[in-house]
Amino acid sequence: MPARSRPFRQCLAIVAVSLVILATACSAPNKLLVLEWSGYEAEDFWTDFKTANPEAAVTFEIGSSDADVLGKMEQGSQADIFHFYTGWQQFYVDAGLVKEIDTSKLTNWDKVPESFKALGRVDGKQYYLPWDWGFTSILYNTDHVPEVTSWDILFDDTYAEHISMWDDGPGAVTVSSYIHGWDEEAITDAQLAQAEQEWKDQKALNLHYWTDEYADLCPEVKSGDIWVAYAWQGCYADALYDGSQPIAYATPVEGRNSWVGLYGISSKTANYDLALEFLDMKLATLTCSNAVTLFYYGCANQEVMDAIEDPVLIEAFGIDDPSIIESTNFTPPVTDAQRTAWTEMWGRVKAE
Amino acid sequence: MLGRRGSLRFLAVPPFAWLIVLFVAPLLLAILISFRAERGPIDFGSLLQASTVQYEKIVGTPSWLRLLATSAGMALLVAALATLFAFPIAYFLAFRARHRAPIFLILLLVPAATSFLLRVMAWKVLLGGSGAINSFLIWIGVIQDPIGLLLYSQAAVVITLIYVWIPFAALPIYAALQRVDRSHLEAAADLGAGPWSRFWRVTVPLSLPGVLATLFMVFIPTVGEYVTPFLVGGTDGFMYGLLIQDFFSRAGNWPLGSALAVIMLLVTVALVAVALRVVDLRRAVA
Repeated sequence: MPARSRPFRQCLAIVAVSLVILATACSAPNKLLVLEWSGYEAEDFWTDFKTANPEAAVTFEIGSSDADVLGKMEQGSQADIFHFYTGWQQFYVDAGLVKEIDTSKLTNWDKVPESFKALGRVDGKQYYLPWDWGFTSILYNTDHVPEVTSWDILFDDTYAEHISMWDDGPGAVTVSSYIHGWDEEAITDAQLAQAEQEWKDQKALNLHYWTDEYADLCPEVKSGDIWVAYAWQGCYADALYDGSQPIAYATPVEGRNSWVGLYGISSKTANYDLALEFLDMKLATLTCSNAVTLFYYGCANQEVMDAIEDPVLIEAFGIDDPSIIESTNFTPPVTDAQRTAWTEMWGRVKAE
Repeated sequence: MLGRRGSLRFLAVPPFAWLIVLFVAPLLLAILISFRAERGPIDFGSLLQASTVQYEKIVGTPSWLRLLATSAGMALLVAALATLFAFPIAYFLAFRARHRAPIFLILLLVPAATSFLLRVMAWKVLLGGSGAINSFLIWIGVIQDPIGLLLYSQAAVVITLIYVWIPFAALPIYAALQRVDRSHLEAAADLGAGPWSRFWRVTVPLSLPGVLATLFMVFIPTVGEYVTPFLVGGTDGFMYGLLIQDFFSRAGNWPLGSALAVIMLLVTVALVAVALRVVDLRRAVA
């Protein structure tokens, strides 16, 4: 054998063995990859699973939006589990990206209210597990804003440069549909054009558009720079705990909006049982409680919600007022064509 | 043995491979994606079904084209001011710092080694309504109410970008000034030229290659800037790069985002080409 070829064959052997080890590691039975939102990768939000499976290796891929999560799954993400929010359920089913959940193996499933379970069903099959949820409404500073009765407060130039709207086209169309009484699932071209012009006129009233409530919105609510905001109740609770500004959370005549976070198991997963256990443990008491106490978001485990005693959280979730949930509008599914049109509309609003 | 030419070719393979895999290939992919009619899973079959729908949308949306023009204008302003502010720093390093030049150079570049996001976020603290600048101006009685213009505005974006770019802008100018032959300055002094005359008629012309390199180095990436307008721009400081980012990550509309990016690339290349034709470096230095 020529002297030059021996080191080369040794290198090839090392590379081959490394590849085998790598491939084995990637498909290891105690490994999970979760496509998650930033912040949710913290151990607090899967602590029960970690306690029950200390040898399991859970890694996270971060998605920045529902569109981003869907895009990653469509382009072949290796995630075993993915997390998204209501309105997007049909897309994953239609693309064959999600496996049905065997709820008979979920020990915490009976703690989830039927209304939440129904949100995870598509075509009669349970594809998703509901987990986090919350309200969207108007957060306002009562020192400057006496009362809020309608979503149209976002368009009130009395509060110019002290308003903040969520940086989201579909969210803007939702608000317009509430104000004008439109069918959110059947917005016409004329209605969309009207909404576009109204939001273009509204743009100058904003201090800014926010994308991350805890990084962009809450600090300026607490500093008193923002008096009126499209907001989730997490920022409301944060402001109540802070106490530096008198903040209230409206129940507009059109009703609040509500959103629910859902987990799905990828149709390509090689670790279905482990993924199922991960989802089951998301509903466990400590994990769910951490979502409530650390992010101020609701959790689908009703026992956890019923056990809340903190007056700030009771206020933030409207637990003492059943009329709130009765008048709440839940985010409906919309088509891909609608989402494309609404996001392009928002792009034109922002560019104006 | 490879020989000298063979060795050079061998050494060039890794950077070329890097460039092809991480620049040329993604760019070609973005161009192909821009010709898709709608968003959705991308596979080779769909990439070959070309459509100009996205480009028609962009051409039919004047506000997006105006935004590109505005962003280019902001980038030009940032490039010009960053170059202007960086020139004295580079001049000091080249002509005054002498044996201490390396120390000052390190001091200039150390902030650039920190997190870009942290530095931009620090400007939010400085420029905000309750920030350090407004608080100071209110305290000394210059203003009664905070100046809103300092944050969530085009001005905030320009100020922050200039701050970010100055350390990098100084480097090409410093390199050009270091190459200035001191005998030219001595000769000018011997011929009776005063300090200002020597500066304007000898130093500045010889520094032009570095100045122009700085202008292009700052202008080109700033046109597509999106992090700074995202953090401090608010609704007024929105830039074209942020529009592209929105369509990629928030809307998941890769075809439209790619088309917007291709148009930005073409416009930027065209502007640079025009600038290079207008500014004949050989005549500028002569």
